[in-house]
Amino acid sequence: MRDVETRPKKGEWIIVFTILFASLPLILGFALLVISSFSRDMVTNLSLSSFRPTIENWINVFQGKLAITGGIRQNILKITLNTLVVALGVSGTVTLISTLAGYSLSRIKFKGRKLMMLLLLMLHAFPGVALIVGVYLLYRLTFPQEPSFVRLYSFFYVILARAALEIPMSVWLMKGFFDTIPWELEWSGIIDGASRIKVWRQIMLPLIKPGILAVALFGFLAGWQDLIYVRTFLIDQTLATFIEANIEAEYSHMPLIAAAGTLYLLPTIIFFLTAQQLLLQSYSGGIKG
Amino acid sequence: MKGEKLRNLSFFLSPMIIMVGLFYLIPLVFTVYISFTKMRNWNIERYLTEVVGFYNYQRLFHMFQHDPLMRTVLLTTIIFVGITLIINVFGGLLLALGTFFINERSSSAIRLLWLLPRMSPIAVYSLVWYYFFHGSEIGTLNSILMKLGVLSQPIPWGQIVPWGAWSVIIFVNGLVGVSFGMIVFTSALNQIPKELVIAARVDGASAWQISRKILVPMMKWHLLYVLTWQFLSLLTTYPHLFLLVQWDLVSRDYGTTLALYVYNTAFGRGEQDQGLAAAAAVLLSIIGIIGGLVTLKVLQFEKMIHEPRGDIE
Repeated sequence: MRDVETRPKKGEWIIVFTILFASLPLILGFALLVISSFSRDMVTNLSLSSFRPTIENWINVFQGKLAITGGIRQNILKITLNTLVVALGVSGTVTLISTLAGYSLSRIKFKGRKLMMLLLLMLHAFPGVALIVGVYLLYRLTFPQEPSFVRLYSFFYVILARAALEIPMSVWLMKGFFDTIPWELEWSGIIDGASRIKVWRQIMLPLIKPGILAVALFGFLAGWQDLIYVRTFLIDQTLATFIEANIEAEYSHMPLIAAAGTLYLLPTIIFFLTAQQLLLQSYSGGIKG
Repeated sequence: MKGEKLRNLSFFLSPMIIMVGLFYLIPLVFTVYISFTKMRNWNIERYLTEVVGFYNYQRLFHMFQHDPLMRTVLLTTIIFVGITLIINVFGGLLLALGTFFINERSSSAIRLLWLLPRMSPIAVYSLVWYYFFHGSEIGTLNSILMKLGVLSQPIPWGQIVPWGAWSVIIFVNGLVGVSFGMIVFTSALNQIPKELVIAARVDGASAWQISRKILVPMMKWHLLYVLTWQFLSLLTTYPHLFLLVQWDLVSRDYGTTLALYVYNTAFGRGEQDQGLAAAAAVLLSIIGIIGGLVTLKVLQFEKMIHEPRGDIE
């Protein structure tokens, strides 16, 4: 820690308490969502009487029963799988591209390198809303004629388009990781006559594992949480569009949506508990507000 | 040797260049082109080649001047960006300073908690605030105030215009943006030499005095960075507003900023007008590009980029 021994213990509790008090709506909001998913009625009104514990909502969510009475069924497992496919696709694309580009930006001298890095920074700040209209036109112009191919293509397209948004920052992040690795290891490879590509694959990749993990994790979360790209391009539903579509529908039962929301939140929470240090450290590399 | 270098570079860089070309450069050209066409309802067959010159821009500026709805959108954008920016920067600063003065475990836990809004799925995050500000008895805010006896019946917070709707969108987005400032300031604080803080402590300075006289003055550069960067992203952000408006939690008129207006005009329910949306998007990009260039110049980012030192020629 930074403020070491001289820090008075007395004031510490006041600060912790003040911050926790300011965080109260945040804690309360998320906690009530999770608790409501285990109750017959929403507990968001903070009254104990409406908390009647049950796991019925979770059973109904997995059976895809949207209403208590009606016969509307939706395959939530398939919807979850769709979300997972998008998230893994984005993660894989981002990781592969940024591991390649990050290496060359960190290690190889070439003309236009500086310009390329500044350009990436500019792209990161570029308004996504200005792009999405053009991205959609490209989607429509490249749309396959074959009807059986359409759904597959929409997955393919949404993954690439969403991954593209993450690429500028991931390349910067990856370049930062490559920068920390000493040159000597690479020289020995090059002197032995190995090509840069071989050096990259056999010497650098094993050393850069923490970086790959961080970028893959951020890519996964970006794909997993996305709403706008998925609802604009993807034909199938993901958990995001499922929640969007069902909150208003009269037949939907509120605690059931809370259960779907909690299910959707689960991977985020798991990453939070298992990869805290990675998150806190790599986030300082660069994020967008 | 030269040929090999070129081959290496194309191996490492071509995937990125293809992605940037496909999903940044071509779309940008397309957006600019659409802003000069009569494109409506994505009727590509009919309108893609119907070029109308600056008609969409004229319409847009006419709306800025005379359309009350568009003026509301502009006003909402200004209020939203202004107030949220202040909350983001000062909230982030306070959190970073607060966690600086407490033990490591509590400070990590608090920083992690404040990362939650940014990391959680947008739909879940919106759902949380949907319940919190809900206009009926199940709304958390309503039930707290009713239990305290402040209210006798529930209030639809987001439908009170203008300040009810504005408060909700500012609050919800404010919490997302705070973590950016928090992280930048925390890493800045970690680089300040500890001797300065210890010396001040020995002289009997309080946490408040240390913050004001030592820590904040040393973070001027970071304050500027967070301020400009956050301004740009608030101006163009809309995913965290989208569902609040879509679910009628906040008033459509006073919950829509210019960026959300662009998205809803191009992809929303009912009549879509991509020509107009693209024109507004081009305006936003021009502001974005100018802002980005100013940021790069002011903060001298190019100095951060060092040449690779050990490369074999």
